[in-house]
Amino acid sequence: MVYHYVVTAHKPTAVTACVTGNFTSPSDLNLIVGKNTRLEIYLVTPEGLRPVKEVGLYGKIAVMKLFRPQHEKKDLLFIVTMRYNAMILECINDSENLDIITKAHGNVADKIGKPSETGILAVIDPKARVIGLRLYDGLFKIIPLEKDNSELKASNIRIDELQVHDVEFLHGCANPTLILIHQDVNGRHVKTHEISLREKEFVKVPWRQDNVETEASIIIPVPSPLGGAIIIGQESILYHDGITSVVVAPAVIKQSTIVCYAKVDPGGLRYLLGDMAGHLFMLFMEVENRGEGNDVVKDLKVELLGEIATPECITYLDNGVLFIGSRMGDSQLVKLTTKPNESGSYVTVMESFTNLAPILDMCVVDLERQGQGQLVTCSGAFKEGSLRIIRNGIGIQEHASIDLPGIKGMWALQVASDGRFDNTLVLAFVGQTRVLSLNGEEVEETDISGFASDQQTFFCGNVIHEQIVQVTPISARLVSAQNKTLLAEWKPPSDKNIGVVACNTSQIIVSTGSILYYIEIHQNELIMKGTTTLDVEVACLDISPLGEGVTTSEYIAVGLWTDITARILRIPDLSEATKEYLGGEIIPRSVLMTCFEGHNYLLCALGDGSMFYFVFHKDSGTLSDKKRVTLGTQPTVLRTFRSLSTTNVFACSDRPTVIYSSNHKLVFSNVNMKEVNHMCSLNAEAYPDSLALATDCSVTIGTIDEIQKLHIRTVPLQESPRRIAYQEESQTFGVLTARIDIQDSTGLNPARPSASTMAQSVTVSSSVGSLSMSKSSSSTLLGGNIIPDYGQEVEVHNLLIIDQHTFEVLHAHQLMQQEYAMSLISTNQLGTDMNEYYVVGTAIVNPEESEPKQGRILIFHWNDNKLTQVSEKEIKGACFSLAEFNGKLLASINSTVRLFEWTVEKELRLECSHFNNILTLYLKTKGDFILLGDLMRSMTLLQYKTMEGSFEEIARDFNPNWMTAVEILDDDIFLGAENSFNIFVCQKDSAATTDEERSQMHEVGQFHVGDMINVFRHGSLVMQNLGETSTPTTGCVLFGTVGGAIGLVTQITIDFYDFLLELQNKLSTVIKSVGKIEHSHWRAFNTDIKTEASEGFIDGDLIESFLDLSQDKMKEVADGLQMTGEGGMKQECTVDDLVKMVEDLTRIH
Amino acid sequence: KCPDPKPKITSANNFVVRCARRAFGYQCKSMNRKFIHSRFCPVQTIRSSSSSDGDFFTCAKFLPGDQSLVVGDYNGDIRLFNLHSGNEEFMFQAHDNYIVHIEPNRTGEFLLTSSTWGRPLSALWAIKGSEMKFALDDEEYVEYSKVSQDRILATKLEVATIYDVATGQSVMRLVPTISNQYTKNKATFSPFDDLVLSDGVLFDVASGKQIHKLDKLNQTQSGVFHPNGLEIVSNTEVWDIRTFHLLKTVPVLNQCSAIFSPVNSAIYAISMEQELDDGDSTFDSSFKTVDAIDYSSIATIEVKKNIYDLAVNRFDTQIAIVENQGVYQSVQESVVRIYDVGRKRDDEDEQDEEEDDDDDDLD
Repeated sequence: MVYHYVVTAHKPTAVTACVTGNFTSPSDLNLIVGKNTRLEIYLVTPEGLRPVKEVGLYGKIAVMKLFRPQHEKKDLLFIVTMRYNAMILECINDSENLDIITKAHGNVADKIGKPSETGILAVIDPKARVIGLRLYDGLFKIIPLEKDNSELKASNIRIDELQVHDVEFLHGCANPTLILIHQDVNGRHVKTHEISLREKEFVKVPWRQDNVETEASIIIPVPSPLGGAIIIGQESILYHDGITSVVVAPAVIKQSTIVCYAKVDPGGLRYLLGDMAGHLFMLFMEVENRGEGNDVVKDLKVELLGEIATPECITYLDNGVLFIGSRMGDSQLVKLTTKPNESGSYVTVMESFTNLAPILDMCVVDLERQGQGQLVTCSGAFKEGSLRIIRNGIGIQEHASIDLPGIKGMWALQVASDGRFDNTLVLAFVGQTRVLSLNGEEVEETDISGFASDQQTFFCGNVIHEQIVQVTPISARLVSAQNKTLLAEWKPPSDKNIGVVACNTSQIIVSTGSILYYIEIHQNELIMKGTTTLDVEVACLDISPLGEGVTTSEYIAVGLWTDITARILRIPDLSEATKEYLGGEIIPRSVLMTCFEGHNYLLCALGDGSMFYFVFHKDSGTLSDKKRVTLGTQPTVLRTFRSLSTTNVFACSDRPTVIYSSNHKLVFSNVNMKEVNHMCSLNAEAYPDSLALATDCSVTIGTIDEIQKLHIRTVPLQESPRRIAYQEESQTFGVLTARIDIQDSTGLNPARPSASTMAQSVTVSSSVGSLSMSKSSSSTLLGGNIIPDYGQEVEVHNLLIIDQHTFEVLHAHQLMQQEYAMSLISTNQLGTDMNEYYVVGTAIVNPEESEPKQGRILIFHWNDNKLTQVSEKEIKGACFSLAEFNGKLLASINSTVRLFEWTVEKELRLECSHFNNILTLYLKTKGDFILLGDLMRSMTLLQYKTMEGSFEEIARDFNPNWMTAVEILDDDIFLGAENSFNIFVCQKDSAATTDEERSQMHEVGQFHVGDMINVFRHGSLVMQNLGETSTPTTGCVLFGTVGGAIGLVTQITIDFYDFLLELQNKLSTVIKSVGKIEHSHWRAFNTDIKTEASEGFIDGDLIESFLDLSQDKMKEVADGLQMTGEGGMKQECTVDDLVKMVEDLTRIH
Repeated sequence: KCPDPKPKITSANNFVVRCARRAFGYQCKSMNRKFIHSRFCPVQTIRSSSSSDGDFFTCAKFLPGDQSLVVGDYNGDIRLFNLHSGNEEFMFQAHDNYIVHIEPNRTGEFLLTSSTWGRPLSALWAIKGSEMKFALDDEEYVEYSKVSQDRILATKLEVATIYDVATGQSVMRLVPTISNQYTKNKATFSPFDDLVLSDGVLFDVASGKQIHKLDKLNQTQSGVFHPNGLEIVSNTEVWDIRTFHLLKTVPVLNQCSAIFSPVNSAIYAISMEQELDDGDSTFDSSFKTVDAIDYSSIATIEVKKNIYDLAVNRFDTQIAIVENQGVYQSVQESVVRIYDVGRKRDDEDEQDEEEDDDDDDLD
């Protein structure tokens, strides 16, 4: 048996539902956003959205509605999950804590029933008398909303309308009255049903309207006093209230399909409509007053407001502000303006919310060679398509910001204070120094009389005897910290200006060119104790004392100009202890001696953003274990700061990095800021334990996150990316994309500018390629022979070459008409050919055929900014997947797997094939082994027999799993994801006695992820720790989902599994799930045909939620838990043990 | 003019398009199920090792465990074949004549058999040791109850009898007051064993009372329950059990036995034996697949042999077809062919093709 730990590294970001109302209190306006399995609750404030609470659910949200029970002052939240768990949630806010209470819950599934093709529909009567559910064809469920009923029990009402497309409750009806759009053989119709709550049945049909538009799909119930409903179709909009009806067919809505709406005003005269193409419309009802308050709808008007993110749901907040929830792209907070902007749009985006969904493909790369992977994903679809670069890093929470350009240095001081807090910030500029005093949150400019303010400060700081040192190009000044007067001044003996300086609380080292002066700080005195002349000019200096409580340094560290060395000099005679040549031509710009976890290091950062680091032996003053990392691309400044009682180093550059030590290994963690030029620690009264960070134009005061987080950079493509591959040699990414072109009078034209149309250069596959000359009779359907209908949308597929540094699209290669780009790899070495190639697998898609009969494998070389097609191979089907395999090319083509040799003539020659699949969608390889993922027939393992030049089928999983991704974990263990959102692990049993047993893979683990996995990749987002950890894990596979989540699967030992399983079981009883869904129900492997308990997997999301518990809850969990201690003895597990263990687990992602 | 319906995003006909959309989150399970059930690839042919003249296979079922197939023949013999090797593992004589129906239980230990002539007409067997547990002398057709398999439902003309599996004793007799007089009545349990349908009449098992008689719209068959428990498929008619409304008419199911796949929601339909005027009978040489959710027709698959029976394995990954060549009285070749569901037939042909047109003879 094998055991795994699965955890979410990045939570799902696709928005599937959103609602607005008064949830957290009667006076709070809340936005509640549903993201797959998560609820995010925001407070709507004049400043924007403020997150107040995040709730995880044991289920995928199918419908989410807010409703106001009669006589209540705030709203309740109703949710149904995809697996039919219904719940009513209330928010209890006792000013300190915000709790989500499950007021009522229940499973509303039927043992038998035909789940409706149009999904789960749930509606709530406007007077909150009853909830209506349409889950199964031919049945309507009602849940009467009685007070204080904690069980949601649904009663079934038979409904003759079998195919219901939408359903709503009408407003202003004495009894709850449904309105629905249903379809039969004659078309679509609108019908109403009055419900008797007592009889629990339909009692009459108040009105109906047969034969509405054939594509009518959305009902908008109109509030009283108008009542009635609006029916949205593909081309027309109908208002009907049982007596009068108004139909309009506005031309603007025809282009796409309206998918969601939001009511603007409570009276219901204005609605916002969003369509699939990302258009936002306003629908107005024109009302005529017929006297006696009898308003009648006269006309409907639709106006295009502008463009938004492809919407999934829209909700109107307040004051012309609305939230656009998107599944395909970044969700938005937008404001409607009364006047159009320069591009004619009434829509202004106020804020965007990053969304990785859907993640279609991804690759793990280490572009900076820091040993830390970054993920580049193909995210989003259509106009929202993008690449996202995701890296693990440290976040800075920004608390204040001051606009100040041109800062050259920055220090925090305590001036005339009691010594607890910093109260002054000294800022250096070219030719001047400015002093800011911090008084609470107020910042004002002041001066310190003893300072030279007409000079640029090189260093400034509090030193011993309540004094302050300021070093300028002219002199070093000693100033009283209490009365700010100048106490002493030291000037270099020659006329030369001071160039570089370093200082601690009692020692100063300065240089003028190649001369070094060592000065000690005394009360009211600066005494030069040593000087030396080096052979070259000094570039950087450091005099940091090493060790806890040590205030003086025995050494200085020097970085030098022309010979590019780092040297260690002894104090006070400045004799050389060590000289280390750094090599290359890049000058060291910052040098620092520091102590991490009791080990001393010398760090030396160069002008190109790279950094050397050495172990520094304090006794001998020597250096060893030289290593190099790349931190950024610009000169880097190193500064130490303390955070959470440990020493860290901040590397200021264009890619700011925090350097710290974990398990006696240096960790380089990115900071989520674009650029930092200077930084200093700041512990001010209003900003305790903070950092001040200077960029080109401002100073930011912020605190640093305790935990590493992922941060994300977006490269918009504005077309759908499908596959990505990284090519090291050319330092590029290859990306397959699809864009939409529209046939008009001049031919096919792109619907909008996007990555492939804006590339620096473009090539096109000849549409009269060899394919149209092929003997196949279907060839008449290929190439340029089909002219699409006027206005028809056509997908055009491209291979993009994208620069790894700038992410500019260097080249776009357009495939033939009707040719879909399916798969992409970058090869290292095919045959004896040393070139790295991009290999693209395609399919020629004829919509009449159920599967493609033709496709191509194309081999491209990107060299010298040119894309050359090296080879083309016709194939008989779609190339779903490609892999480089022992110097050959492996391709899955329709149902087959084919191995191609790369000949010296640079052609692909078929070597062998395997046929035993329905459609071989996925391929992974390891050594001689090939893992196949099939459309329906789960996974199969093949072995390539080198001698025979053939494939042998080794083992197969005979369960019918409809695969969406596969991965090889090790020689015997295979990971699969299937289309009901589960993952499973299969093991091959090579030791079995019979052939039949050996040929069968055993499913040894199964788990419900709750999201569809599109891609697995080996790799990790964190620096791989070689040191010891309390949580042994082996290997790491990352996955990306349709919901935009990134997760990982790692192998654990049986002992650790058993321990975590016990912890998981305890947590699942201690942590009460919102909606009262059992954890075991949620994680059970669930498909249309079976539900089986989860096994072989630990739910890392639940384990990690341990850290969010209160101390007593932690105690409750830890009680009675046994762990294996030193020497394999079982011992009681304490809360501290558990915290450490779970924290270690969180560090794997 | 009303606009033409836009093609649904989930229903593109070409798999490549659906595959791309699935990755965006548009599920297309229904179209993929249809795709699977339009393609079948023969992978194994099972022949009798002791084939004597006039002997031929008549019916087949997969045994639990996915390792073997149980087959009945014209002489009343039951044979077990290894699915992988195609070898006959053992046989025993169960009846004197033509076996029309066999049904193993879910553990694969017992077997129900029915024949056309002689005594007993039906029987329950322990497969190990080929031991007859008990005989149901006059029952023409027998099947297990569906939930717990602790009862047997037997049919003789319009009379259905429930037997206890443990004792072989009759527990309940269900005789319709007015029946539909179908020529080939086969009484059947509903998926939850609470109802029995026999000769067009629905019985409540708990009380033994008749609930409803369905309209008679064909001469031959009474019908079967859809595994979803909501519908009865009776020849071409689909009835709603809750309302007894006619939901649909499915012409392709006319005079067909409907075999529901245990997973994947498909119906396999084979034509029932058609008796000719001269006393001989004919079989169809094709079978059909129908979507069991919306009853849309998926495909008709021609096997060029007379199809006597069709069986589906538990995962719907393989089907077994009893294929006989020649007319009823003189079958020339009799095989059970195993097909992979979803695989295309011409995979192997393609391989040959690949070899001879290898690289550059594209004309």
